[in-house]
Amino acid sequence: MNQPPQRPRGDDGAGDGVNRGLVAISYLIGGMASWGLIGWLIDSWLHAGGVITAIGIVLGMAGGVYLVIRRMGS
Amino acid sequence: MRVNALSAPVMAGDVHFPPSVKEFFTPALFGLDGWLTKFTIFVWVAVALLIIFFLVAYRDPKLVPSRAQWMAEAVYGFARDSIARPMLGHEGVRFAPYFAALLSFILLTNLYGIIPGIQISTNTHIAYPIVLAAISYVMFNYIGIRKHGFVKYMKNSLVPSAPWYILPLLIPIEFFSTFIVRPITLALRLFANMFAGHMILAVFTLGGFALLNAQTWYFKPISVLSWGMAVALTFLEALVILLQAYVFVVLTSSYISGALAEEH
Repeated sequence: MNQPPQRPRGDDGAGDGVNRGLVAISYLIGGMASWGLIGWLIDSWLHAGGVITAIGIVLGMAGGVYLVIRRMGS
Repeated sequence: MRVNALSAPVMAGDVHFPPSVKEFFTPALFGLDGWLTKFTIFVWVAVALLIIFFLVAYRDPKLVPSRAQWMAEAVYGFARDSIARPMLGHEGVRFAPYFAALLSFILLTNLYGIIPGIQISTNTHIAYPIVLAAISYVMFNYIGIRKHGFVKYMKNSLVPSAPWYILPLLIPIEFFSTFIVRPITLALRLFANMFAGHMILAVFTLGGFALLNAQTWYFKPISVLSWGMAVALTFLEALVILLQAYVFVVLTSSYISGALAEEH
């Protein structure tokens, strides 16, 4: 089986697709988690009973969507 | 065949069904509690195998390669031409040895999950994926800081091009997704895939024995179906093994490429 070394062709498609998909997910979840955490901290400081956490999560979602559009849209 | 190889030790003891997390904690070897288990030994075996394989394969390189040299060149060539070059361009070639080593180590330790007689991947213990992710994490940050300097690197990673009034909303998200989510997901993805894969195979294999030992006689033939599922899922697991090794390396290269990028 003396074959010449095989040269796999660069498939920029597949790896790049996986990568972009995971970046998008990390922004969407990261947005909710980061602002959710900030909201929760303020919440437990002010004893606001969860309202600020909810606002934080929604803000984070908006920010995450904005970042995904900004990074992937162009 | 696979089912038989897996079931032999199970047959000896009594069948615990359903399998629990206890399956993942194998007994200590040679009385070295907490220091030496099956997992420790198999990681060292993987390291030794890879070192010996690449040394032997490249000991006397020929223009028309031997089979070992061809295999080693295929692994390295894949890391260089299919991961490093497309993701990082020409300067990415200097990372190709790291990617090739990472790819072959993860591939081999994952493969333990379906090799008869071993049947468990060392990556089902999160400590190993954590160390691998930590290496990649330190590496991409170090490379970015070395290239741009600390302030410019932080500015590149944290401040997206957006109107100033929206930046306070975006900077915490960028920080969170770059410096916290990245290493955690890198480690968790590999660990969870291998853990779940082992659990599923254990459920169907041990489930077959549970059915066979059942008091109700007409449950017994269903065990064949359960083992059939175990064999089929072993092939699915083979696919997951290849995919997870590839994804880990692609993501590492993508983080490095992000750290090296001039602007977003």
